Amino acid sequence: MGMEAPAEVEDAVLLRAAADGDLGAVRVLYERHAPWLTARLMRRCNDREVVVDVVQDTFLAMWQDAATWRSDGEVAGWLWGIAFRRMVSRLRQRKQTVLMPEWDGAATGLLPAAEDQVLLDVEYGDLGTALRRLSPEFRAVVQACVLDGLTTREASRLLGVRENTVKTRLHRAKAQLRDSLADLRLEGLT
Amino acid sequence: MSTTTWHADPNLLRAYVEGRLDAVLSASLERHVDACAHCRSQIGPLVEVPVLEEAWSGIRTGIESGRLPLLVRLAQRLGLPEPTGILLAATASLRLTWLTGGLVTLCFVTLASILADGAALWPFLLVAPLVPVLGVAVSYGPAEEPFEALTVTTPYGRARLIMVRTLAVLTLTLPAAALLGLTLPGPAWVAVAWLGPALAMIPLLLALASLTGPRLAASLLSLGWTGLVLFAARDLPSTWPVEGTQQVAYLTLAVLAAAFLWVRSQRTQQIGVAL
Repeated sequence: MGMEAPAEVEDAVLLRAAADGDLGAVRVLYERHAPWLTARLMRRCNDREVVVDVVQDTFLAMWQDAATWRSDGEVAGWLWGIAFRRMVSRLRQRKQTVLMPEWDGAATGLLPAAEDQVLLDVEYGDLGTALRRLSPEFRAVVQACVLDGLTTREASRLLGVRENTVKTRLHRAKAQLRDSLADLRLEGLT
Repeated sequence: MSTTTWHADPNLLRAYVEGRLDAVLSASLERHVDACAHCRSQIGPLVEVPVLEEAWSGIRTGIESGRLPLLVRLAQRLGLPEPTGILLAATASLRLTWLTGGLVTLCFVTLASILADGAALWPFLLVAPLVPVLGVAVSYGPAEEPFEALTVTTPYGRARLIMVRTLAVLTLTLPAAALLGLTLPGPAWVAVAWLGPALAMIPLLLALASLTGPRLAASLLSLGWTGLVLFAARDLPSTWPVEGTQQVAYLTLAVLAAAFLWVRSQRTQQIGVAL
């Protein structure tokens, strides 16, 4: 899996074949995208059954909508959009436990390799520090609305709070982030 | 999106999959993975295979049942188990062309019998029992195959496969044929009596097919039945082929055929192998 890189057929081509009813094309897309999708869903929900269901639903939806897919974006991003929304609505149907990622790096006891830390920090360094300064409620809202790209309504379902609360928290979190980033920038200068 | 040549370290990806990265690092990694097919593919071997296989089997079933014919989906709605539905979908006789062909023929024959004002029941008696029999024979696809190729592609025993298909054909053809039978002139019992030879011919067909393949078996049976009906039409009463004594004979033949099938499958020590 994953290593059949040579002569790789593009996602968009496979998707067109899938729309024409090619089960083999669906399988190739599945082998390419299901693992990371599953890993990502597992990071957000600790119920294995829900994850299996959501992965299933996502690829069935992909197969059904393959014909209508406009080739103006990444298939990966499109799939994630379907998958995460399915998961949120699944969680609404039943009261399931959601596992929000651990925000305190020290608690997980993992120190990433120095090189990875540096390279990820190039883009997210200050932001990461700023995010860690947020209170847990604010972080959860930023994670859902900004990082995972949910609408405020979807985020309110996921987090189990009112939509207005999500909006307020998001607004305040953004303000805090702006302040933190300014502070960090100034700290860096001095 | 960024076009960096940097790729996540295997250990970092492993930590991510195992949930050991904190949220900021995970989010950073996820943004990178969004745009990097290479790192996406590297996650593949780290994810539990059973989870992926479980989801895939559901997807495959979903896709296949999405393409099941309308009649089969209807039967599923009424409680037919999913694997049986897929089995039925592979049955060629469910294709509407064959089905309508058979029933249209039956309609014409019924009409002929009605127009002849009861004097000639034989066209109906000739065709009606053959419709389900040929339906069963046709349900094995176009090739002359003694049921061999069928089981290669299914995880089911042959006996079950054949019974399911036979039942499906009977469910589709018998009610229509019986309704047409009711419109016939002459004694009312004829409308039901033709079911005797029709049902008797099915074990006969299966027994013969286990030796010769379904096509030849169906041809032999059709010839035999046609001969019998035409012989009777010459100077015997038109209902002769379905009268009491003859029915007993059909029943005997059916029992013999079933016994033959049973012995054959016992001898080979494998259920359904005779078919």
